[in-house]
Amino acid sequence: MTAPAPPPGPAGPPALLEVTGMVKSFGGAPVVNAASCTVANGSITGLIGPNGAGKSTLVALIGGAQRADAGRVCFLGQDITHQPVYRRARAGLTRTFQLSSEFARLTVMENLMTAAQGHAGERFRVLLLGKRSWRQEEARVLDRARGLLQRFGMTAKGNDYAGSLSGGQKRIVEIMRALMSDPQLLVLDEPLAGINPSLARTIESYLMDLNREDGLSMLIVEHELAALERLSDTVVVMASGRVIAEGELSDVLARSEVVNAYIVG
Amino acid sequence: MSTLIASVGFGLVTASILALAAVGFTLQFGISNLLNLAYGDTMTAAAFAAYLANRAGADLWLMLLTGGAFGAVVSLALNRFVYTPFRRRKTSLFGMVIVSLSVAVIVQNLLLAGFGPSFFTYQIGQSRTLRAGSLALTVNQLLIIALAVAAMLALHLLLTRTRLGKAMRATSTNPSLALGCGINTPRVVGMAWLLSGFLCGVAGVVLVANTTAFQSTTGNDFLVLVVAAAMLGGVGKPYGAMLGALVLGLVTEIAAGIIAPGLKEGFAFALLVLVLLVRPQGLFGDATSRAVAA
Amino acid sequence: MSAAAVFYLTTLLVYVGVDILAVWSLNLQWGIAGIPNLAWILFQSAGAYTAAVLTLGPSSGNGGFQSYIIGARLPFPLPVLAGGLVAGALAALVGLVVLRRLRGDYQAVVLLVITVTATLLVENFPRFLNGPAGLALIPQPLSSRFASSIGYAWFYVALTAAVCAVVYFLVVRRITGSPLGRALRATRDCDFAAAALGKNIVGLRLFVFVVGGVIAGISGALLVEFITAWSPGGWMYVESLVVFTAIIVGGTGNDFGVMAGALLVPVLFNEITRYIPTFGSPYLVDALQWVVIGGLALLFMWFRPRGLFPERRRTMALGGPGTTVAGPGQAGVEAGRAGASQGSGAGTSTAAGGAGSGL
Repeated sequence: MTAPAPPPGPAGPPALLEVTGMVKSFGGAPVVNAASCTVANGSITGLIGPNGAGKSTLVALIGGAQRADAGRVCFLGQDITHQPVYRRARAGLTRTFQLSSEFARLTVMENLMTAAQGHAGERFRVLLLGKRSWRQEEARVLDRARGLLQRFGMTAKGNDYAGSLSGGQKRIVEIMRALMSDPQLLVLDEPLAGINPSLARTIESYLMDLNREDGLSMLIVEHELAALERLSDTVVVMASGRVIAEGELSDVLARSEVVNAYIVG
Repeated sequence: MSTLIASVGFGLVTASILALAAVGFTLQFGISNLLNLAYGDTMTAAAFAAYLANRAGADLWLMLLTGGAFGAVVSLALNRFVYTPFRRRKTSLFGMVIVSLSVAVIVQNLLLAGFGPSFFTYQIGQSRTLRAGSLALTVNQLLIIALAVAAMLALHLLLTRTRLGKAMRATSTNPSLALGCGINTPRVVGMAWLLSGFLCGVAGVVLVANTTAFQSTTGNDFLVLVVAAAMLGGVGKPYGAMLGALVLGLVTEIAAGIIAPGLKEGFAFALLVLVLLVRPQGLFGDATSRAVAA
Repeated sequence: MSAAAVFYLTTLLVYVGVDILAVWSLNLQWGIAGIPNLAWILFQSAGAYTAAVLTLGPSSGNGGFQSYIIGARLPFPLPVLAGGLVAGALAALVGLVVLRRLRGDYQAVVLLVITVTATLLVENFPRFLNGPAGLALIPQPLSSRFASSIGYAWFYVALTAAVCAVVYFLVVRRITGSPLGRALRATRDCDFAAAALGKNIVGLRLFVFVVGGVIAGISGALLVEFITAWSPGGWMYVESLVVFTAIIVGGTGNDFGVMAGALLVPVLFNEITRYIPTFGSPYLVDALQWVVIGGLALLFMWFRPRGLFPERRRTMALGGPGTTVAGPGQAGVEAGRAGASQGSGAGTSTAAGGAGSGL
């Protein structure tokens, strides 16, 4: 699951994700206004800001769900600004969603197995070649999915329909599913929102393990600053569509422009 | 050239009928986020109601009233007893299409069962034809145009000057916010269906009054043109529907006059497909309008 | 069995076969992939018309009362195969135009408009496919080889059954039982999430739309070669509702469920009317049939939207924490990867189990 770290250049290692000058307007009003930020390889970067700062829109632009009016997104050194969502995912940029996004009429196992990349069984030629062309790979995917279920303690729910799970369980499935896709960068849109505290702590510890043991980089949009304090290496602060500060959470919160942004809102 | 001018005249008549129908249709979409495919058959039902009134001796004005009232009641009932319960169960958007399509099929075939497959006509007397150069329209046709213009004006005043109108616009744009502002949403929705149903019924009567004969399928045949006009202008936007109706009404009649009468709707649909390819939200819709991205 | 009874039975069986192909094709498009294809009937018609004009021979024949394009006299099974291909090509064209990220009901209505436009075109260009009158006197394939018409009737039943079997084992089952089918269902359930996991949802939808179109075309070709006639009155857009109702009643997404739907809705309906004494005029029974179909759709959408035989749940062997479970038919899985995930799984499973109980 770990990407080989890009060789450090003279100015330091190139960023995993580089967002430059993103602009997006809805109905004439700019929601994201020349926002720029980077995510370093191997880091957990937080994205914070008051309501309406444009965080969710920026995440949508990074993921490709929205098309930018202007600006650039570079991932692993490639310009992905005009790439459709699925191509970004295949390159290693996986994004999770705030709203329910589980495959409700598929089981939890199927949810996970669908996320496997480049499955021979998903190619159109399945029509011509039949089961033999994908049986082995399916077994591998099955094992990986089982492993994830165990790691997150969801084995008992494996054959349940994803639509029948509780809200917290669905969140975990979402994260497991994102992991199955073997990402290099995980973009999480408010993963802890509306979850009871003990479950939130559990998810936090999973995320930390994934970062420390597997070297998975993350960009996390979150309101709960205490969680980000524990999780993140750096944070990016947005307000009114712009990035107004970048740095360690404690440093950034001390800056007057950030404090003002939160008060003014 | 004279054919062109004459076609423009007919185009205005068709546009008027279309406008009445399309605005009602688009109001229903705006307020309930629903493409009511039973709209055309409601028009037919209203036309039949007016027919019965006609048989009982009603004149055109009374028939319009009857048709409009019938359309209003049927539409209101449809929304209250069929659409709303299904929507409360979180039926998918396409599921609602199946629901409204099923209702359409039921209504149309009940009319067929009740009235039979023959053609019917209104007894409203031949009205004189007035001529102005190449333009030749009957008095009834001019009445239809006047009626449509008056209705559009009245609707405009309603939407901009009255509390109900503003409440309708608010509910269309953002139902939960409207509710939060203290607007009695269920009542506003009901009034919207009543109003659009009235337009639907009047459109049905007017449609039939302008043709030589009608049958149980007439309204449904017209539905596609209505949907096209609404989509052209951007579903949910009443002014868009008016513009869409004008454009399509003129296009169909001019195409019929100059090119080929049988294919006239074909040009309308071709235009619609073209617009949808270039600008799927229609002429007035915004890019983030609900009709576009899933 | 009397000759009349045999003809009745064989005709019924051919219709069963054709309707089964029909529900399978729409089930692939809608039940599995979630495409609201209100233009389905268009593709069956395309197949029927193609087979017809490739079987009829030149239009000047039979006294020249029909006018249509092509007019070849290709041997069986070419017209049927061509019917499938043309329908598939039409599906590709329509799909490219419509299958973008439009919301479901909007897409459906656009497909509806396309269907109505197609009817308009066929009716107003009589030299294309003989306009509103439609095509008739289509010669049945291989009929000259059979001495008795009873023998031919049974042949056609066998032919239809064979086509069904081929379509099922080589296409339907291969799609629905594979990871491709899973990806399609995922796209149906939440398309933006599927895209975010690397699925090319536009490509997937186009693929299944075309495959479904081909099967629909084959069903039309088979049907027209048997009933020897085809006209616009028989393919109005409401006909698609019949197939949708069959799927809703039988079981959306379930290959066998929809077969039951095919038996219950189109077939049963057409047959029941034979046994009801004709009351009133002929149009009355017809009209009431449609009322019942609409009512059936509403009833099932309300009380049992998943259908009589809902989509099967695909269960998998899960194993317990710390145990190694062999995958289906594959014992020698990459030990390294499986071992590593099992290892860490065993290590953290107690903690996860503890947290799990709080979920």
